[in-house]
Amino acid sequence: MEHPPESSGDASPAPSAWAPVADRRPVLEAWDLVREFGPIRAVDGIGLRLGEGELLTVFGPNGAGKTTLLRILAGGLRPSRGEVRLRGLRLRAGDPAWHRRIGVLSHQSFLYGHLTAEENLWFFGRLFGLTDLKERIPARLEQVGLLERARSRVRTLSRGMRQRLALARTLLHDPDFVLLDEPYTGLDAHAAAVLRGVLASLKDGRRTVILVTHNITEGLEMADQVAIQVRGRFVFSGQRCQVDAATFDRFYREQVEAAG
Amino acid sequence: MEYLRMLGAVVWKDLVVELRTRERFAAMAGFTVLVGILFNYAVDPTVVDPQGIAAGMVWLTVVFGGMLGLGRTFHLEEDEGAFQGVLLSPIPRDALYLGKVVANFVLLVLVTALVFAVFGLFFGLSFGRAPGTLAAVVALGTLGFVAVGTLFSAVSARTTMGETLLPILVFPLLVPVVIYGVTATKSLLAGIPAAEVEGNLRMLAAFALAALAAGAILFRHVVEE
Amino acid sequence: MSRNLRWSALVLGMLGTAGALALHWMVFFWVPTERTMGVVQRIFYIHVPAAWVAFMAFGIVALASVGYLWLKDERLDRAAVSAAEGGMVFTSVVLLTGPLWGKVAWGTWWTWEPRLTLTLLLWFIYLGYFLVRSATENPERGKRFAAVVGIVGALDIPLIHVSVQFFRSLHPPPVVLKPEGPTLDSEMLVTLFVGLGAFTLLFFSFFLFRYGLEYARNQMVRRGTPSEVPGLSGGLS
Repeated sequence: MEHPPESSGDASPAPSAWAPVADRRPVLEAWDLVREFGPIRAVDGIGLRLGEGELLTVFGPNGAGKTTLLRILAGGLRPSRGEVRLRGLRLRAGDPAWHRRIGVLSHQSFLYGHLTAEENLWFFGRLFGLTDLKERIPARLEQVGLLERARSRVRTLSRGMRQRLALARTLLHDPDFVLLDEPYTGLDAHAAAVLRGVLASLKDGRRTVILVTHNITEGLEMADQVAIQVRGRFVFSGQRCQVDAATFDRFYREQVEAAG
Repeated sequence: MEYLRMLGAVVWKDLVVELRTRERFAAMAGFTVLVGILFNYAVDPTVVDPQGIAAGMVWLTVVFGGMLGLGRTFHLEEDEGAFQGVLLSPIPRDALYLGKVVANFVLLVLVTALVFAVFGLFFGLSFGRAPGTLAAVVALGTLGFVAVGTLFSAVSARTTMGETLLPILVFPLLVPVVIYGVTATKSLLAGIPAAEVEGNLRMLAAFALAALAAGAILFRHVVEE
Repeated sequence: MSRNLRWSALVLGMLGTAGALALHWMVFFWVPTERTMGVVQRIFYIHVPAAWVAFMAFGIVALASVGYLWLKDERLDRAAVSAAEGGMVFTSVVLLTGPLWGKVAWGTWWTWEPRLTLTLLLWFIYLGYFLVRSATENPERGKRFAAVVGIVGALDIPLIHVSVQFFRSLHPPPVVLKPEGPTLDSEMLVTLFVGLGAFTLLFFSFFLFRYGLEYARNQMVRRGTPSEVPGLSGGLS
């Protein structure tokens, strides 16, 4: 892993603010993940260690391979090399057991516009083999504040509502590992605030979360660990400490420039 | 049991979406009726006996029209990336494929029934003495067609050529369906007893089974990266 | 490894070429003229071996494709595409020699002779194989899709074969002559077997050369920038 930033100058956080990743017993581990698309390496040797209930934020510019990393972790893309384990379960792409434990929220909602909110959840609930959907769906809709829109078709919902519904879909099967890919994209301030509230409730000490974003403020807010991904690699990763967004932003830019 | 519930959910979703948008059915239905009209001028029914060439007309219309709908099987999924969400769920890929096949089959059978009705009306066809056997021929032929078409529609939707690739991939493979379907239909329309097309029915069933099995096994390799 | 490959390809190629030259000599100067069909029947010694190789190649495509989907081993994909390319060449030979003969023997360029029809459909399946391969942005996806086409095509070919035979049984062709003609005498048989051997050797020589080329191309892609590599996605180049 990369070294903590140097303390020289005011630009970067002090080295003491960055500790190496703690030796807590990890629930999610990944070693040497590589994914090639023809000649391009979108993910190039990434490793992860996340403890129970921890949230990792991965920052990075466009084209850094963040989404590819998430797709691998979600079990939707076979890595060219490397291994991932979640509580001892080894990832094999397309493995139903893996999918049951993971929820994915993307900037796309993964919802059917012509189905109602309720029907979307019913459909995805069935795909996850859930049987108590009668109780589960209203509870999830309540959680994201969409109970009164249960019968509305998704295409009539606003972008923010859709994103909240997508969150309900993500959490429907109670995954203990949640992946968030730029969840704030295209949301107005109000919708973002609502989403942030629900996401904060995700941090219940049990769920392990990975958030991918290029927005420093939102990404830093809830992070236990942060990583900066450039050109498929983590150029920095460490435990998150008290550091304000502006300082980290400067550090982030330096890292991206140095690596890019 | 859970397998069937998952499969059923896919069928339900595809049919509900189709019922609400009517996109694919409208395209196919409109196409087939218009083809019927064009046939009237292309093959002057006062010169050629329509009863004699009806089997060929009906099957080709169904195959061409069906391509329109099958080609768009996976388009309804692309909006908002919903299909990615489906692929990130634990549904077995063969259940997903078979669910899509069932939904497409329902759609195509409706279109085929419409084609028979419209062509019957336009050209004054009589449907022979064994409508049950005719229905079986149509159902088995359509099933084989849909099984191949659904698999390759997933392929072509993920290429840069899109739907234009679909006929090139599917038509050579459909030759058995067309041959056995058309010859059986022709015999039945000519009033030949049902027992004589039993061989055709068996071959259509064999084709459909083989195509379903191949699709169920290979679909995973098409949708998973 | 690649040196052995080149040598084997070269040796097979030379044997194949020698065989093909011998075949042509035999076809033109040695084998007796068939009584009913006359001189044109001699094209049959090219036509039939080409058809044999075309279908054998497709068998290799299908087997290698199954293996590729299962094991995701690049070598199997390389084998599949190499066999497909050789197969397409020989399928084209069949489709060119068939009508030449048909014109003289049957008086028409094209008849729906079942085996010729089957070969034409095989040609189109090969076409789909290459189109799908080159029509994806991600080369790995193109390889998988091509494998699916190869497998389904191979499963379908027996069914197509049976169905076109069945169709002919309903509609007898206009000419009674069968392509084999009457029973072959021994010189004809020898010529035919020389043809089969020569074309099989040539095919495997092509196959190995093509395999080596695909390997070299992959190496180049790995090292160089993709824009410098022509035909990156491995189409009909």
